[in-house]
Amino acid sequence: MAVTTYSSTSVRFRQKTTTRWLVRGLGVLILALVAWRVVTVGLAEGYPATFWMSQLINGLVLGGVYALVALGYTLVYGILLMINFAHGDVMMIGGFTGFFALQFFMALGWLQGPAALVALALILIVAAGMFGSVLTGVTLERVAYRPLRGAPRLVPLISAIGASLFLQYSVLLIFGVSPRVYQKPALIEGGFRAGGVFVPYTGLIIFVTSLFLMLMLYLIVQRTKLGRAMRAVAEDKGTAALMGIDVDRVIVFTFILGSALAGAAGVMLGFHNTVVKFNSGFIPGLKAFTAAVLGGIGNIPGAMVGALLLGVIEAIGPSALGIPTEYKDIIAFTVLVLILIFRPSGLLGEVVSEKRA
Amino acid sequence: MRNARFLLLFAALIALLTACVAPAPAGAPAAPAAQPAPAEAQPQPTGGQVVIAPGQTIRIGGSFALTGPIPDPGKDIRQAAEIAIDDLNAAGGVEGFLFELVAEDGACSGDQGTVVGNKFAADPTIVAVTGGTCSGETFGLKPILQRARIPFVSPSATNPAITDPECDVCNRVALSDALQGEVDADFVYNQLGLRKVAVMHDNSDYGKGLAEIFQNAFIRLGGEVTNFEGVQVGDTDFRAVLAKIGANQPELIFFGGYSTEAALIAQQMKETAGLENAKFMSDDGAYTQQYLQAAGAAAEGTYMSFVAGDAQADKLAEFTEKYVAKFGVEPSQLGPFHGQSYDSVILIGEAIKRVAKVDDNGNLVIDREELIKAIRATKGLQGITGTLTCNEIGECGAGGVQIFIVENGQFKQIAGFGM
Repeated sequence: MAVTTYSSTSVRFRQKTTTRWLVRGLGVLILALVAWRVVTVGLAEGYPATFWMSQLINGLVLGGVYALVALGYTLVYGILLMINFAHGDVMMIGGFTGFFALQFFMALGWLQGPAALVALALILIVAAGMFGSVLTGVTLERVAYRPLRGAPRLVPLISAIGASLFLQYSVLLIFGVSPRVYQKPALIEGGFRAGGVFVPYTGLIIFVTSLFLMLMLYLIVQRTKLGRAMRAVAEDKGTAALMGIDVDRVIVFTFILGSALAGAAGVMLGFHNTVVKFNSGFIPGLKAFTAAVLGGIGNIPGAMVGALLLGVIEAIGPSALGIPTEYKDIIAFTVLVLILIFRPSGLLGEVVSEKRA
Repeated sequence: MRNARFLLLFAALIALLTACVAPAPAGAPAAPAAQPAPAEAQPQPTGGQVVIAPGQTIRIGGSFALTGPIPDPGKDIRQAAEIAIDDLNAAGGVEGFLFELVAEDGACSGDQGTVVGNKFAADPTIVAVTGGTCSGETFGLKPILQRARIPFVSPSATNPAITDPECDVCNRVALSDALQGEVDADFVYNQLGLRKVAVMHDNSDYGKGLAEIFQNAFIRLGGEVTNFEGVQVGDTDFRAVLAKIGANQPELIFFGGYSTEAALIAQQMKETAGLENAKFMSDDGAYTQQYLQAAGAAAEGTYMSFVAGDAQADKLAEFTEKYVAKFGVEPSQLGPFHGQSYDSVILIGEAIKRVAKVDDNGNLVIDREELIKAIRATKGLQGITGTLTCNEIGECGAGGVQIFIVENGQFKQIAGFGM
């Protein structure tokens, strides 16, 4: 076993070797049971290989969306140690902004034009969605979270839940309850076949774009001055401030990054699934939060891995275990519970500075 | 200083709350006999009477799905009910007393139906209820209104179990899904000649109920049902479940549910291996303009069934004219159930006319038990959806099931059964 850094709770854990082995044994038993179920029920159904491939693609696309949203949770948690429960709704706002941008470009006739013009319009629509989300995210930070910065940790959490409801029902009030329908331009309508497996264009775009944005994020956090400041603030706000870092500015920047990713996810999800309504950020937000915890909250690569894993488990799980697809959410959340039991700090480990641990 | 201001604010809030609550008890004495006397040890509490003072209105509750999965059809049903109230009042009301619609949002859900039901049950001035819009919502209303002795007539709840011999307050104008499911299965098996279908539903009382009836009927006819899969109202990504269905290559997917999910399934099945050429059929919950709009090109060639009334063209035209004049929109743009909604309210209004009496003080008195019987006794009422006669369990609707195909972005009727 590799030596890992244990948080204070797991130090106690390490001392009780028998308990540890018991838990581990239980974990192996559960894995064995799952494997047995997959072999006897899932594989016995006799689905063709292309079926598993297309489910894998569905899962990766779903995971790409979860990843973009999960990063927002993880970034904010890393710095403020708070769960921004309004983050899914920030994504929904991006979806709506993108919808109106789409209407605008349709009215301009750009989407009926040559492919290059359509592509430009699509990029601008995504940018508009990102802008809408960033505006929402930054306003939330200023209005709902900053005044509570010194308060106990539960207080901003409640504020976040309030902000989530506020966003949802404001949109309900302003735009009504009917879903808005994204009309896909012909350029991204349909998809292509690769080895008998259908890949929708929108799915491919989501996956590639989310990988690209994640790479950008990683570079920003690891290679830029602002990124270094973010990491310093995450480590210790007080000391970072003493070193001349403007903590407020760094926190706002964190919200900008997270919200921009969520906005992009909102617009792309709008194109992929074609509808956006006032509560369409709620469930993806919850799933993305799960993904962030799965990978280890506060851990950026963890959020990506957790999200892709969650997406794939959701898509493949029901067929592999031979249970009805409507229970896909149960599988996702069961995985979360199991991870929390056997690896309480997530797959790649929670990133918490020594001082807080 | 800060504390003082907070206290002041708190006090103001309390004052505001009391102000909001106060009118309720004040209104109660208008109908002192409406509450069942708790001392009477009867198994079935009797409803007593509603006493309406001169100048007050006859209040009919309405549970409409104004939010939830089908807001536009819900709005259509509400507006049609308002037209019916207008017409009843234009005809003089009852002995000079006018009708009033008390609209609540049933949100197409059982939870919200319960909330609305409790609200109506707690209000002694509510005489009868039109609604709910959805089956789940109506299941929420049903036990509460039964206990409160408030009769209801649903314009659009189609689950077979909405009416039953045990429930004397339960009535509906819509036709039961027992008919729709059978007709749909027969259409797919005999008219389309398909033998291998998959059935999906949205886990709502309505969608799942209809899907089960369809499945049983199709199997009884000799067909094969490859999958029976549930989704959730509000889901937007059905690719995983469709891939699973596609592996069995059914010739058609039947979906019991509402328009948004139906539209997304119709769209996403075109991208699923094994379902590229499969047909799609759904129900009266999806027979809306919103389905056509949301599904776009994927709607072409899909089938919808509708529990249609036996439409009276002249009455419908007259109604549509009033509706457009009042709301500035064609009713069919919003939803399919306006005729049923109008008829539900008229049915209630006519029954009230038969039992309401004016007492010596000039109050209008409506006996709840008599009204429950009067609604059930409705016979030969001429409505927009045909000649309405309630049977012994409260099925009042006329008409049959229509089947439509989508062509060039329009619904085109291709079959009608039991008309």
